[in-house]
Amino acid sequence: MTRQLANATLAILLAAGARAAAPPAAAAPVRAVKDACLTCHAKLSDERLRKPAELASADIHQTQGISCAGCHGGNPAADDPTVAMDPRKGFVGKFTPQAIPEMCGSCHSNAAYMLRYAPNIPTDQLSQYRTSKHGLALAKGATDVAVCSSCHGAHGVRPPSDARSPVYPTRIVDTCARCHADVALMSRYGIKGNEVAEYKKSVHYAALVEKNDLSAPTCKSCHGAHGATPPGVSSVANVCGTCHVSQLERFDQSPHKDAFAALEQPACEACHSNHAIGHPQDSWIGVADKQVCGACHSAGDAGAVAAGAISGALAKATAAETAARARVGKVKRAGMLMDAADVKLEDAHQAYIMATVEIHTVAVARVEKQTEVALAATAAADKDAAAAEAEIRYRRTGLFVSLIVIAVAMVTLALKVRSMER
Amino acid sequence: MRALDKLWHALDERLELDPIVEFVAHKVVPRHRHSWAYYFGGLTMFFLFVQIATGILLLLYYRPTAEAAFESVQFIVTRVPFGWLVRSVHSWSANLMILSAFAHMFSVYFMGSYAKPRELTWWSGFALLGLAMGFGFSGYLLPWNTLSYFATQVGTDMVSKVPFAGAWLLKFLRGGSEVTGATLTRFFGFHVAVLPMLTAVLLAGHLAFIQRQGMHVPSSLEEEAKRRKPIRFVPNFMLREGVVWLLGLAALAALAAFFPWELGTKADPFASAPAGIKPEWYFLFMFETLKLLPAHLFGIEGELLGLGAFAAGGLVWFLVPVLDRGRPGGGRGRAFFVLGWLVLAYIVGFTFASFAGVFK
Repeated sequence: MTRQLANATLAILLAAGARAAAPPAAAAPVRAVKDACLTCHAKLSDERLRKPAELASADIHQTQGISCAGCHGGNPAADDPTVAMDPRKGFVGKFTPQAIPEMCGSCHSNAAYMLRYAPNIPTDQLSQYRTSKHGLALAKGATDVAVCSSCHGAHGVRPPSDARSPVYPTRIVDTCARCHADVALMSRYGIKGNEVAEYKKSVHYAALVEKNDLSAPTCKSCHGAHGATPPGVSSVANVCGTCHVSQLERFDQSPHKDAFAALEQPACEACHSNHAIGHPQDSWIGVADKQVCGACHSAGDAGAVAAGAISGALAKATAAETAARARVGKVKRAGMLMDAADVKLEDAHQAYIMATVEIHTVAVARVEKQTEVALAATAAADKDAAAAEAEIRYRRTGLFVSLIVIAVAMVTLALKVRSMER
Repeated sequence: MRALDKLWHALDERLELDPIVEFVAHKVVPRHRHSWAYYFGGLTMFFLFVQIATGILLLLYYRPTAEAAFESVQFIVTRVPFGWLVRSVHSWSANLMILSAFAHMFSVYFMGSYAKPRELTWWSGFALLGLAMGFGFSGYLLPWNTLSYFATQVGTDMVSKVPFAGAWLLKFLRGGSEVTGATLTRFFGFHVAVLPMLTAVLLAGHLAFIQRQGMHVPSSLEEEAKRRKPIRFVPNFMLREGVVWLLGLAALAALAAFFPWELGTKADPFASAPAGIKPEWYFLFMFETLKLLPAHLFGIEGELLGLGAFAAGGLVWFLVPVLDRGRPGGGRGRAFFVLGWLVLAYIVGFTFASFAGVFK
């Protein structure tokens, strides 16, 4: 034990010695002993010039030793502003939008450099950005498109994992909305500007803000972050399939795959819409008004018949589950423990969900196979509820009988007392 | 019959039972218009007997660990034959016992039966009520469900406000800094060993004092009691008490069958506390009062001040036999009579108001 302790201590001392002796990394920017930028700017009365100095302490770059001069250039050691901010020494005060991605990319695209600070973040942001709608417009000279600082902030940049970052999952939607909800700005690019408002009606947004599910899809999940662009008609299914794997797998097996491609219909979007994706309802299936199959099928065709059969199977399973839940709930309120029935109802619901997944095959038999499982589980739960109801009746009968016995005993005693005291 | 006579003779020969027979034969209960109040003590004892019987049955299956407690109670109410009835009767009887004890205490109070020479009876009764509430508090946690877990957390947290000894008391009650399996195990210990033992001793004393001193008759009813023929304890009063006990049994059976005691969900120490945690109804008046107090009052923590006031109030109630000097013409002090009504109105008022959701 003592020897182990001594060895461990020696190892720690050696490691500390090695670190102290190691030379600083050649290209790593070392925090300046003196940073005149922050000292002077913190005292300025013009808020526009003072703010960057105030935000510096929260900035991920500053905390890693990359000071103002890391981006703006100049000489942070000089007290004289003309020397410190000498354009001949590479100083740039305000970057043009075109210059920003290149400036950020000078470090963030350098894999060897980034390895020292954040080995787990990608280094392809700039190349992705250049392929994005933003990057393409910027290259054409537009100045009202998003660059790095539009989303991440210019000063006080925080890592995306920081809940205060504008690109944190719960905040990124509003960050995109700063431009994408501006109808006048969006009209210049042929975009409606209602996309964010529509998205906020979706199940995805509800999962994000109500359940605080950080894995729920936001704008960037479907459009890409740095390479932001609308997915093409042919790639919609792949985008949705990133999360909805089972649905995509079944859709690929269905006759709809080729039919949608031939009609140039975006796969999932054709039935589920794009931004305002609601919770699917059984009532969607069919060819009547406001039912999704009616967009391509009409009454009497094979598709309409299959839709009717699928809709019928789902409705039957849903009705049975609702009735069984009500019956189980009623006996629960009467004080019976119905844990076993709850498990069966959960099984029934799982089978129902599987049936809704099987809808994507549009094969009636596959959907019915799952609804049969759901119906069987529901029937088992219903049987439990019936047994519990019988048990309640038995208990109440028992109570009634025992109350009669008690009442008879009471009356007998009372009569006895009366006769004794007469 | 001859065998019984022989047995009696044999016992009498050895133990000299004659004085006891004599005592029992002559024991009477005064008869007056408030004689009904004499039944509450016996009724409380009946519920205690039910508690002991059902508690022993529950012990056969209950397991006092955080991992198994909830499941064992679940097993009792779903799988054990009549387990649901035993558990439900145990819970209901506990509540009816406290209710009956309160009725007993207030009837004794208003009849002024606490006065000399019955101080010891009052004090032992006071301690018995405290023990009954201790039974309730410790038993509440045993099913280890969400509500009982968090209510115990709130309840035990109150002792931490006690000056000087608070931190130690909290640790003693919880068996650590938090409510854990250790708390459950020691609450179980209190519930089935410590409290029953103390109750047995105190109850023996309480009953012995009553037998020794006989039933008290308030001075205002003395004349009526003298005029009317007293009730013989054996068998008349016993049979009458039997009717009351049967009524209690009927109430228990009906409550247990129509309103089975809920089990709730298993306690999860890592879950956040559910909204609207409330203690058992007999702690509600204190709980709601403490909640109404501001955070700070006269520079002292509100909750500490409230607990101090309850302790002082409890002490006054305890010391009533000494504090109430009585009226010159006989009878108890008017101030204490008014105090009794105020306390009763406060307890009943706050309890009902809490159930009605006035304090939400």
